[in-house]
Amino acid sequence: MSTTKRKSLIISPELCIGCRGCQTACKEWNQLSATKTTNKGTIENPPDLTPNLFNRIRYLEVPSETNPVRWLFVSQRCMHCDDAGCMKICPAPGAIYKTKEGIVAYDKEKCIGCKLCVAGCPFNIPRYDEKNKISKCHLCSDRVAEGLVPACAKTCPTGAISYGDRDDMLAKAHAAGYQKLYGQADLGGLGTLYAFKDAPKVYGMDENPAIPESVVFWHKVLKPLAYWGLGGAVAASLLHYVAFGPKKDEEVK
Amino acid sequence: MSDMVRKANAFEILNHWVMAISFFILTITGFAFLFKLEQMNAVFGSFHQMRTIHNWTGVVFSASLFFSLFSYLIEALIFTGEDAVWLIKAGGYFSKKMKLPAQGRLNAGQKGYYLLLLLTGGAIAASGFVIWLMPGVKKWILISHLAHNISFDLLMLAVPSHIYLATLANPGTFRIMVYGTVPLEWARKRHARWVQKMGF
Ligand code: HEM
Ligand code: SF4
Ligand code: SF4
Ligand code: SF4
Repeated sequence: MSTTKRKSLIISPELCIGCRGCQTACKEWNQLSATKTTNKGTIENPPDLTPNLFNRIRYLEVPSETNPVRWLFVSQRCMHCDDAGCMKICPAPGAIYKTKEGIVAYDKEKCIGCKLCVAGCPFNIPRYDEKNKISKCHLCSDRVAEGLVPACAKTCPTGAISYGDRDDMLAKAHAAGYQKLYGQADLGGLGTLYAFKDAPKVYGMDENPAIPESVVFWHKVLKPLAYWGLGGAVAASLLHYVAFGPKKDEEVK
Repeated sequence: MSDMVRKANAFEILNHWVMAISFFILTITGFAFLFKLEQMNAVFGSFHQMRTIHNWTGVVFSASLFFSLFSYLIEALIFTGEDAVWLIKAGGYFSKKMKLPAQGRLNAGQKGYYLLLLLTGGAIAASGFVIWLMPGVKKWILISHLAHNISFDLLMLAVPSHIYLATLANPGTFRIMVYGTVPLEWARKRHARWVQKMGF
């Protein structure tokens, strides 16, 4: 085993001022073209992740009793799940893989464009480029491999996106008073963690994100049953042949 | 050996081979997807090509399943009292002394197998087309992925048993898939109602 530590991001919506520098930095590093969008009267733009947009600032206006004008800016991107539904369901070897830093990265050459990963992901993350190849945040796996900080974290002017060794980051957040970060234990522990000060749903996130039950059932039961079933049927047939023998014509009445 | 009777016509023989071969290819490629068997690149070139082969072989399999309807469906749906007795006696497969009731062209086990094949084959085909042609529609893909795999498991149990019963377990049966004919005496012992009805 490599001793490289699992890397992660911590996103702190309360620190985010919605400048969207991270969106731009990501596009620049990953050479993703800009997309023309329309003004919908919100800072949230583009309205959804696209094959050319790996991260996005969601804008939420959620007044609370103490703060009648509470604006929340919540970055949305791949969560780099430890137990990654996209990778579990993908039928193409090497199309989605984990790096030694725990990043859920992908190889477009190996992606066969079946889009099963969309069905496996609990966070609605994978998108497709014009060649039907998976496209999403890869935690700047190329930069991280060289010991660099991901582009979005590097660019963030307020510290709303911080990056480092997952264990250290968690320890620091706990020391700073966060009892539990969002994603700390979900799906085996997410690589993208959120320092929420309120319930996840206030930030538009699932309380208990999970891989679809049918995919878990498929992985745990149906997959092994395919070869045990095939092997069992062949074995039972041979056993029957030995125990009872064939119906020889002269024995058939 | 002069008294031979025809149990399958040329089209049925051909269709059976088309189904068997396409099923075999689908199973091999299916296993490769299921377990990300990179070694299969040696056979199919790449997973891209394998996907194309799997999907289009699925079209061939679906067509053969459709044509099989004309050969078996009506008879498979008619369940007689003699079929019930045959099933209770488990087709005599666990005791040689069993006296079995007269059967039609298909015995009760063959009827049941055909209906199971139709159900699971139909489900695996339908779900396969959904996965192929409706990519990214999460709700449909999840249901289809489940259906594709449940039917696959059932087929992995049923088909080897079918092959065993049609070859090793019942000498003289496999020639139907090659020549379509069987000796009259052979048929009389196993499909008395059918021989009677046809007036052979
Ligand atoms: C009849 C039409 C069929 C179509 C259109 C079809 C299509 C597909 C598709 C699209 C996939 C997903 C992977 C990919 O995109 O390459 C798939 C996977 C698979 N297919 Fe089929 N298929 C068909 C029939 C069959 C049959 C008859 C079998 C079994 C004998 C089979 C066994 C499998 C298995 C085991 C998998 C991998 C399971 C998974 O990853 O979910 N398929 N098929
Ligand atoms: S679209 Fe590509 S990455 Fe997604 S499941 Fe299919 S092969 Fe894997
Ligand atoms: S968030 Fe979705 S795409 Fe990202 S690793 Fe988890 S399952 Fe995969
Ligand atoms: S980690 Fe890299 S790829 Fe992911 S959103 Fe940030 S800049 Fe984009």
